[in-house]
Parts: sequence; structure tokens; C-alpha cells
Amino acid sequence: MSDTTAPGRALRTGPGRLLVAVYSVFALAATARGTYQLATRFDEAPAAYLLSVFAGAVYLVAAVGLARAGRASRRVALVSCAVEAVGVVTVGAVGLLAPSLFPDDTVWSGFGAGYGYIPLVLPFLGLWWILTVHRKDRARAV
Amino acid sequence: MVDWLTMTIQMASLAMAGWCLVSTFRDQPMLVPHLVGMGLLWLLVIGQGVVSAVALIGGEGPEETVMYVSYLATVVLLPPACAVWGFMERSRWGPAVIAFACLVLPVLMVRLEQLWNPVV
Repeated sequence: MSDTTAPGRALRTGPGRLLVAVYSVFALAATARGTYQLATRFDEAPAAYLLSVFAGAVYLVAAVGLARAGRASRRVALVSCAVEAVGVVTVGAVGLLAPSLFPDDTVWSGFGAGYGYIPLVLPFLGLWWILTVHRKDRARAV
Repeated sequence: MVDWLTMTIQMASLAMAGWCLVSTFRDQPMLVPHLVGMGLLWLLVIGQGVVSAVALIGGEGPEETVMYVSYLATVVLLPPACAVWGFMERSRWGPAVIAFACLVLPVLMVRLEQLWNPVV
């Protein structure tokens, strides 16, 4: 990692490079899945399908936030990773306590079990990385 | 879809993933051999894509055509997209990106085969 001074520059380098790739794939997977299900079987489980589309949108925003430089992008990435963390934990818990709410599976169902639990780990890795870079930047600024 | 081509793609992809993981743990950036490997893998995927597209146009294809085509497009675009994104990174995280892509690819191939030959 070079000694760049522009804030946010480092977010997409190093481990962030991998995070952006993973986020992009999940954005595509969740959005495509949700859109397809909404278009073909809206009546069956609209809440689950809308949730998939929403999750896809959050992944997309996070990917863009991580990939772009700047203070605002960093905040966007931070917020979207936080939303995602809350989302996957909430949906996982709801699935356990009240399975009838989401009759069909989403990316976040069962804490992301259908996707190798990556959806559960990903937001926390994202948050960790954003905070790590942020701390480094602040240490450098002082 | 050609079965042996799918198998070859999956094997090549996993081998590529293993190689890139070794590079990641050895703290090596993505080098030209990695890029050549991804190029070869991409050629295999394109081959499968072309064969399948021809079969599709010939009327021999799965019922869920839209789903199949979107998966096929993803599979064809994934290797070059990740190769470029990984090559831009001059650290161990470049091969890590490729390793991730090469682990996702076999799963997508399984999905494609399922759509092509649905088990009733």
C-alpha cells in the first residue's frame, strides 16, 4: 500500500480489493434472484422476494462505497455494511422464531446458510476493514 | 452444454483457485502466468458459452431460458472482470480475488447444468 494521502483511497486496495469483488458478486446474485422471483412468482412470497432485492441493493451500495474514494463513500460503505449486519442477523433470527413470515428463502435466510454463511461474515469483515483504514488515516493525519 | 467441457472448466477453475491461494499465502502479487491461466480458463468458458448459445438458438435448451442466459452471461463475464480487478492490485490480494472468482465459477457451472438438465 502506497503512501496516498487522499482519504478513502486505501479502501479498495489490499483486502478491500477482495471485499469489493465479493460484494459485487453478491449484489448481482441477490438482485438477480429477487428480481426474477418478483417477476415470475410475486404472489407466493412477496416479502421474501422484496427482501432479496433490498439485500442486493445494499450489497451494490456497499460495493460502490468501498470501491470509490472519498469521505462520503467511506460513510456510505460504513452505513451499508451496518445495515447488512443488522439485516442478516435479524432475518436469520426471524426465520428461526417466526418462519411463516418469509416462506421462501432469501440471501439472508438462516444467517446466509444457503450461501456458505458468507453473508453473515461479510458485513463484519467490511466494517472491520473500513474502521482499520479509517484508524490508519487518522494516525497518519496527526 | 457439453458435459466434459463443464467438468474441465470446474477442474481448471479449482486448480487455478488453489494456485492463487498459494500465491496469496506466499505474499505474491498477481503475475503474468496467473493472467495467462485466467485467459485459458476464460477460453474454455467462452467455448462452453458458444456451444450452449448455438444449441439454444437451435431450439434445444432449458425451459427457463431467461434464467439460463443470465447465468451464462455471468459465467462468461466473471473471469475477465475478476482478472482485471485482481491484476490492478499489486499485492497478495490480487490472487485472492482470482481465487474467489475461481471458487464461485464451479458453483455457477453446477447451477447451469441444473438448469440445462433439470432433475424432476
